[in-house]
Order: sequence, then C-alpha cells, then structure tokens
Amino acid sequence: MVLAEFKLKYAGSVLGYVWSVLKPLSLFTIMYLVFGRLFRLDDISEYYPIALLVGIVLFMFFSDATSQGMVSLVHRESLLRRLRFPRMIIPAAATLTAAMTFVVNLLVVGGFVAWDGIVPQLDWLLIPLLLIELYLFTFGIALILTTAFVFLRDTAQVWELGVQLLFYASPVVYPVSFLPSWARDLVFLFPPTQVMQDVRALVLYEDDSGMTLSSADALGSSGPLLPIATTLVVLTLGVTLFKRYEPWFAERT
Amino acid sequence: MNPGLPSALNGAASAAIDVAGVSKFFRLPHERRTTLKEYFSHPFRRSGYEVQRALQDVSFRVEPGEFFGIMGPNGGGKSTLLKIISGIYRHDAGTVRVNGRLSPFIELGVGFNPELTGRDNIRINGTLLGLDRRKLRARYDDIVEFCELERFIDQKLKNYSSGMQVRLAYAIAIQVDFDILLLDEVLAVGDESFQQKCFGTFAQFREEGKTVVLVTHSLDLIQQFADRALLLLDGRVQALGVPGDVVARYHAGLASPIAATNLPVVETAS
Repeated sequence: MVLAEFKLKYAGSVLGYVWSVLKPLSLFTIMYLVFGRLFRLDDISEYYPIALLVGIVLFMFFSDATSQGMVSLVHRESLLRRLRFPRMIIPAAATLTAAMTFVVNLLVVGGFVAWDGIVPQLDWLLIPLLLIELYLFTFGIALILTTAFVFLRDTAQVWELGVQLLFYASPVVYPVSFLPSWARDLVFLFPPTQVMQDVRALVLYEDDSGMTLSSADALGSSGPLLPIATTLVVLTLGVTLFKRYEPWFAERT
Repeated sequence: MNPGLPSALNGAASAAIDVAGVSKFFRLPHERRTTLKEYFSHPFRRSGYEVQRALQDVSFRVEPGEFFGIMGPNGGGKSTLLKIISGIYRHDAGTVRVNGRLSPFIELGVGFNPELTGRDNIRINGTLLGLDRRKLRARYDDIVEFCELERFIDQKLKNYSSGMQVRLAYAIAIQVDFDILLLDEVLAVGDESFQQKCFGTFAQFREEGKTVVLVTHSLDLIQQFADRALLLLDGRVQALGVPGDVVARYHAGLASPIAATNLPVVETAS
C-alpha cells in the first residue's frame, strides 16, 4: 500500500521521483539566499548550508507526514465504508509514504556531507535511533490530527498555520543559540528540534559555533530524555484517542 | 428465540450470525452557514440535526451453511445492516454475534485503482482482503483464469469495461478465506456467461458448508439460491422465511406500500 501510494503520487508528472528531492532543495535555496546571504547567517559558520539543509529536510518530513496523515482517513473514506480492517493502517501508510520521500532526501543530504569532506564517525550510528524517535512523534501527532479532522474539518486550516508557526519557532533557519536561554530550553522539548540539533551535532562535529548545540548541551546530562518522554506521551495520546473514536470513523468521514 | 427456523436443530449457540434487537440511528446535521455574513455573525451557532432511523429492532439468525438473502427497496436499511454485521458501523442498540471467519469486505473491488494495471490491482485488492504474499502468489493464476482477463492483465484498470472490473473483483473475492461471506449487490453487471460462473461458485460454497449473506434486488436470484430471505422496509423486518413467501410479500408491498408497513411481521418456515 505504501509502495503503491508512492508510485501514484508521482505517476503522470514528468520529473517523477525527482520532485520529492527538488521540493526541499528549492526551499533550501530560497532560505539560504534570504537568511544565509541577505541576513548574513552564512558568516556564523562554514557549515551553515549543511545545517540548514538538515533542518529543512527533517522539518519537511514532519510537516508532510502530519499533513498527509491528517487527511488520510477522510481521503480513504470509501475504503473505510467497505472493508473491515484495523483503521490505524491508513495513517501509518500515509506517514510511511512521507518517510520514504524523507529517506530519498537523506541520501541527497548524505551527498552534500560527503562533498564537504566530512568524515563519518562511529557515533553516527545513533542517527537512525533519532530518526525513529522523530517518526514516532510524527505518527502520534498524525493520529491526533486525523481523528480530529474526521469530526472537525477546520483542523486542516489550524494545522496549516501551526506548521508555519513551528517552522519559525524551531531553529531550522537560525542557530538555536540565538534564542534566549528560557526559549532555548523550551524549543528543545519539541522532539523535532531535539532530533534536528542532535543530528547536526553528530554530523557537524567540527563546527564550534552555537549552531550545533545538542540536547545534552542545552538540557544538561538528562539530554534527550525529556523530548523522548514528550514523544511517548504524544504517541500514547494519539493511539488512545484514535482507538476511542475508531468505531465511528466509517460513518463520519 | 425463533422456534420456527428451518435449521434450528443446531441449537441457539451455533448460529453463524445472530442479530438481536439491533437499531441504528444516523445523525444528519442540517446544512448550516450558507452565507459569509451568517458565518461571521454566528460563528459558533450549531444548527440542529435530524435523527434518521436506519434500522429498528432488527432480529434474525443465519445458520451455518445457509444461503441467506436480504432484499428491500432502496433506503430500506440493507447495506447498513450488512455493515453492522461486518463491524464497519457501530450499532446503537442490540447485539450482533458472529461465529466463524467473516469476509472483511461487503462490496467488490475495494481499493481498486484505475491508474494501476490489473496485475497491480489484484495484488493491492488481495492484500487489502487479507491474502498474504504467499497465498496471493499461489492463487494469482486462479484469479486470472476465473475472470478470463489474461489478455488485459497488464493494462490500466481505467481501460477496463465495468463488467470486466466486476469480473476481476469477484475473482479476487472468492479466493479469500472465509466461513461467512457478506456481499452487497454484486452481480448487477456482468454478462450471462459470467453470471452462470458466479452461480457455480454459490453451489460450491454450499458444498463447502460456507454461509452466504447476499443483499440483492434480484428476486430471481433469491428464489433460485436462497434457503431463507429477509425483507427490510424502513429499517424494520417486514418478512422473514422461505424465499417464495418473502418475495410474494415484497410484491404485495410494492403494490400498496402503505398497507405493507401496517402488516404484521410474518415468519414462515419450510
């Protein structure tokens, strides 16, 4: 189902899968020109472009997966009304489809990293764990959103704004060290921020600007424990809410 | 509960499907906020809704191995009833008990995608209906052979005629493992020879002791194959029993619908 959806999404468009790479790259180009050059964030570190690209690709996964997960139940309405099956497969397939695009994008990021001559380290093995954490958080949010969207279609508008807000509230385009310390601790509680910063810290280990501040640097020795707790809470909440309203999905979508 | 049933010899506990006092209501909200001005002046005003009674106190049992027909006019509650038995809708009152593996679908061609080939659609539809990869590979040839679409299997589904799509869908559906098959209006399309082929599978299900519940408008089909039939009108059981009597009641009801609703519920046994 995931494969079929991925295939269909780009069927009929000339550039096909290339679009899934071009989208973050073009956003990267815009953001780099505006913030890197115009606002001179480029001067902070020679690694600003890579950090920006990592941030954009990670955040774009969060935004795509939650938005597509949100509408997935309603879009699959005809399936819900004709077939008995665990409803959670639908948002899972939608978010996993976004995850596939994400993996393709990561390969591109990997290409940039290699081109910059950054030597892989053993602790990069932690990166997949961080990405799993990101996926679980994203899936939890998608479950909450898709349940809400079935009963209240305004959710889509609210979330569109929410994503915009989170994009600028998270240190995607600017270094997290720019934030006052209270705000810095706060944004680290948002798992995508923590994952983004920890991935940056692991990959750009040679960077000594404030851009690659990891969760351990910001939150102390407990490091990523709080964001991981957030992830588990959101995931549990999502699953509980989804299961609670599952019997009514078919007639309300 | 229903002492006159033909195969009550199996006892109450072993009914394939036991539906007791089931009711279902749909809440249909009234259209609200038609103009922008209205939207802004009463942004949080909730307009009322209408309660539609889709099913009211429906009770019946289907015995294992039985071919059970459900008929009735449009909007009578047939599809809703099937969806409740299959667990797609949640009922508001009563109990539904099912013994045996239920087919997970009630309509054919679920998840068919017009942009994909027949081959891909067999794979997707089969997976959705619960065939794992191994079973799907083993039964793939049977599916293609049954629907007689070898020549078209690598073409996109949107280039199939509607009859061809139904043939493909039915061929996949009968490859699914089930004890109880629920089907909603399936054979309306499809030519004579394919219909004969489907009737052949009905006979086969009977031999294998499988239970079939079929919603249909085809009274011929019910009279020819069903052991018993149920007539649903306005969400109530109007008649339950041998197909001949129930079909006669249906005709009587069509002739004078008002009289029919006032008739007492009949139950007949062979």
